[in-house]
Amino acid sequence: MSRAEHPVHLVAGLVVWMLWFVVLYGLLSVGCAVAPPGPGQGIWNWINASLWLISLVVVVGLALAGWWCWRAAIVSDESHARFMTRVSAAIYGLSAAATLAVALPVLFYPPCV
Amino acid sequence: MTEPSRQDRQELHRRFEAVWSNWPGLGTLAAVNHTSIGLRFMVTGVFFFLVGGVLAMLARTQLALPEQDILSPEIYNQVFTMHGTVMMFLFAIPVLEGLALYMIPKLIGARDLVFPRISSLGYYCYLFGGLIILSSLFLGMAPDSGWFMYTPLSSAEYAPGPGSDFWLLGITFVEISAMAAGIELTVSILRSRAPGMSLRHMPIFCWYILAMALMIVFGFPPLILASVLLELERAAGIPFFAVGGGGDPILWQHLFWLFGHPEVYIIFLPAAAIVSTLIPVFSQRPIIGYRWLVLAIILTGFISFGLWVHHMFTVGIPKLAQAFFSVASMIVAIPTAIQVFAWLATLWTGRVVFRLPMLWIFGFLFIFVCGGLTGVMLALVPFNWQVHDTHFVVAHLHYVVVGGMLFPLIAGFYYWLPHFSGRMPTPVLGAWGFWLTFLGFNATFLLMHLTGLLGMPRRVYTYEAGLGWDWLNLLSSVGGFVMAAGIAMVLLDVVLHFRFGRPAGRNPWNADTLEWATGTPPTSYNFASLPDLPTRHPLWESPQLMDSIPEGRHRLTSIDHGRRETFGTDAVTGRLKEVIHLPSNSWWPLLAACSLAVVCVSLLIRMYPLALVGLAGAAVFLLRWSWENGAHPGAAPFTGPETDDPPLHSRTCDGPGLWGMWVTMMANGTLFLSLIFGWLYSWTAAPEWQVPADSHVSIGLLLASGALLTVVTLGYDRLVTALCRGRAEGLFGRLAGLLVLAVAHWLLLLLAVLGSDLDVTAYAHDGLILVMLLYLLFHSSLATVLLGLQLTRVRLGYIGTELPYEPVVLRPFWLYLLAVFWISLGIFFWLPLAWVGGS
Amino acid sequence: MLWWGMAGAFTLVWIFMVVLWLVAVRRDPGEVDDAAAERLQTRWIVGGGLVLPLVAIIAILIPGIPIGHGMLPTADDDVLKIEVTGHQWWWEVHYPDTGLTLEDEVHMPAGVPVHIHLRSADVIHSFWVPRLAGKLDAIPGHENVLKLEADEPGSYRGACAEFCGALHAHMGFVVHVHTVNDFEAWLEGAAEDD
Repeated sequence: MSRAEHPVHLVAGLVVWMLWFVVLYGLLSVGCAVAPPGPGQGIWNWINASLWLISLVVVVGLALAGWWCWRAAIVSDESHARFMTRVSAAIYGLSAAATLAVALPVLFYPPCV
Repeated sequence: MTEPSRQDRQELHRRFEAVWSNWPGLGTLAAVNHTSIGLRFMVTGVFFFLVGGVLAMLARTQLALPEQDILSPEIYNQVFTMHGTVMMFLFAIPVLEGLALYMIPKLIGARDLVFPRISSLGYYCYLFGGLIILSSLFLGMAPDSGWFMYTPLSSAEYAPGPGSDFWLLGITFVEISAMAAGIELTVSILRSRAPGMSLRHMPIFCWYILAMALMIVFGFPPLILASVLLELERAAGIPFFAVGGGGDPILWQHLFWLFGHPEVYIIFLPAAAIVSTLIPVFSQRPIIGYRWLVLAIILTGFISFGLWVHHMFTVGIPKLAQAFFSVASMIVAIPTAIQVFAWLATLWTGRVVFRLPMLWIFGFLFIFVCGGLTGVMLALVPFNWQVHDTHFVVAHLHYVVVGGMLFPLIAGFYYWLPHFSGRMPTPVLGAWGFWLTFLGFNATFLLMHLTGLLGMPRRVYTYEAGLGWDWLNLLSSVGGFVMAAGIAMVLLDVVLHFRFGRPAGRNPWNADTLEWATGTPPTSYNFASLPDLPTRHPLWESPQLMDSIPEGRHRLTSIDHGRRETFGTDAVTGRLKEVIHLPSNSWWPLLAACSLAVVCVSLLIRMYPLALVGLAGAAVFLLRWSWENGAHPGAAPFTGPETDDPPLHSRTCDGPGLWGMWVTMMANGTLFLSLIFGWLYSWTAAPEWQVPADSHVSIGLLLASGALLTVVTLGYDRLVTALCRGRAEGLFGRLAGLLVLAVAHWLLLLLAVLGSDLDVTAYAHDGLILVMLLYLLFHSSLATVLLGLQLTRVRLGYIGTELPYEPVVLRPFWLYLLAVFWISLGIFFWLPLAWVGGS
Repeated sequence: MLWWGMAGAFTLVWIFMVVLWLVAVRRDPGEVDDAAAERLQTRWIVGGGLVLPLVAIIAILIPGIPIGHGMLPTADDDVLKIEVTGHQWWWEVHYPDTGLTLEDEVHMPAGVPVHIHLRSADVIHSFWVPRLAGKLDAIPGHENVLKLEADEPGSYRGACAEFCGALHAHMGFVVHVHTVNDFEAWLEGAAEDD
């Protein structure tokens, strides 16, 4: 069994998405409780910046993982492996898209109001 | 078919039936067979559905005209609370669990679920819990704070009667059955599929149920924790949610919706499973986009856990956080749209046979798509602020749950009716039932969107005339009664079909899945011989299975040993690994459930000593149940060197019990994480959080206890690893030594708990620490007792190098205890020090 | 306007899906080989399952995000502040600037934003004037600020939207919106009466 067809890839992308989501919401809540930026700063403050940075790292990581599974899917000639790698690649890809979409409001809204 | 082969077939049937049938008479209460339990779940669920329906009719009668006083506000509040509670907890989830329990082994080519006694326990917990909740209605003291029980309205101060207690205790009791089904279905689907059935060959129904089962495993624990905390607050005055003591009512909402939103998908996924099973059969072609459906199922399973705050957009959470949940709520539409278009594409390319179940599928599509679209609208925060808590939301949620769950369920009932009874439904009465239900439903709820947009809040027992709501409410009520007439018609149809339906014959819809090879109605053992199934469509590709299976022409046909057996296979590839031997009829589940019912009732009437007696009874019965396993004479006694290939699962180091233990620990871990969430949430967000200066827990005792625990767990781990490698020198002595250390660890922990000085009624802070300590103490006690039982079983010869299974199953429990012990110490005692020291 | 646009577009999507279903059930597909089914799968699922919902989501987020922005309370300190406290089952309305306290009625000027500071004395309530703004909860231990702005003078009905016990249905109130001048006059008169 090649590594790309391991069943963990069926869920790994979304597990990462979920952990990222918890970090996003948690950092925002704790950040606002501990060191809320001034209301005049708009979106240019340490909370938005770090949320955006974390999100970008996660998106890039998921996209790379998806690409890796997709390459494995193209070269595999056995139907079980092809099934697993294709579904895994799509899960990684959609996890990356979901991360990007949910992170989008960080560009528009100030954090704590 | 030649005459001798039919005789062989009947002889085989007779021998299997002798091992697999339920006991006659009252003995049927000891049944553990998944077909019987599944049917009981469904019949009980339908009963509660009718109760919930009557409550809905009462509510609609009250609202038909403005300013009516048919129901007093007190009664009306009980009625709508119980309507929601009964429909969600006592109908929707159990009836779908019942269907899954009934179907799964038949679809994957197994003879039963892997934990049959747990099926039975789950059913009795559901039945008793449901009856306890229902009894409150007849005692006139039903819960009346709405089915999501927002505190402080449900607290001891504002709901002094026992109504909230009925809800909290009863629902927690019922949830045991959901957890049981979730764990059992997960392990059965992963570990007992027919040989050759890799993940890619599973019927799509199984993917849906696997996702549902795992969602139950991760979704229910937050509510269980919340219910326990609120009940502790009500009974013992520990202020977890009361502002004055450092609690926060918003914490309840987070924990409730952490469960509550996934719950919607927990009932939608099995309903979508029905749709995905029926559409290919009536299109007479394989489903289009199997891979995409699997993708959509996995996406739904995860993303639905990231939406819960959209029920809380009006509590004053920061805009940015709301926006995260708003976008997440919108993207969950994508997996749903993928499924809808896969279904449409299948119909498009198939030659559709339009039969009665398809009418209900049409009703599903019509209603559910509308509910999904209003759902996307509701995800938009500004719109949500306008219509939240109005009749618009009431209409939306009924479009989603009635369209998304009830219609597919009835389609499924009609489709599998010949499987349950051996007879076909009648087309005419069935069609009447559908059209009345469909038109009645839309009349009730389509108009209700408008009622909400015109400003009518939900949960009002009456309203003033002349606000433009009068005619809408009247028509909604009329529609409600039309729908009730439709449901009555369906029930009449089902009752009459037992008498007048024409015999179904074999596989009446020309379906592709294996449940139709179990007979109509099915045999107690499903399959006399177990075929290899490297295919999604066994009956389309090999119709001869209908004969070859009952004739015993496949594997595992020996039955003279008198054991119930099925195959255990690899979770991914479906490679044959072992023979799972299953328990037979048993009274222990019923006795354990009765004891738990005693606990539940005595907590309700606050007779705490009786609750302790019930708890002790439950412990005794459950441990006695666990005793009849492995090489016990009542299970699969060891008779000298065995050379079976594949081996019995209790002779290996990797059986369904180990998987069951891991899945249980995942659920348990979610409960623990919910507690951690509550702790961290209270520290950062509770408005009047206070850290008392003089509370004291002996860290020294805890550290000593933890050190012993570490030694015991590591020692046990090494012992089990050696046992699996065939080395058992001094097994008894080493295990005995570990037991001594385990008891010492337990005693130190007990001393730490008893010696702690916590003012739990004054501070949520101390209350949460107490809950954590009791959680650890419970696990420590159980782990120690189980270790003691293992020692006894070594002495009796049930465990040894040939029989290494049971210590393997217990290992994750000790590892789990070790992990939560140190994590608890870190988060409850050291993290606050860092926090306080840093600020 | 936006709501009607959204509702109209979604109704069209709904009708489209139902018609598609009816056609799919009735048509005779002829022979569909595996390759054709594969092509159809990709086209339908990517088109209907990915593109369609994405377009719909973007279409409602583009106007939705600015509207959400507009609902945030403004940072100004000179906005009229009214403290509203929910009780079972009535609203206590307090004007901190003048010390005036009313029951179940709110007076405010037209054309300028007003900040309603929401609190609760017992259980959770929700302050809602359907024709003026969305709702916001009044929660024990918390204070929420709702921005309320009325364009036209008049009387507007309000209700409690979060279920709060036996007489939840009777927890209505009225918002009287005056022109700015009338409001000043009312405020002076009411303060003298007090």
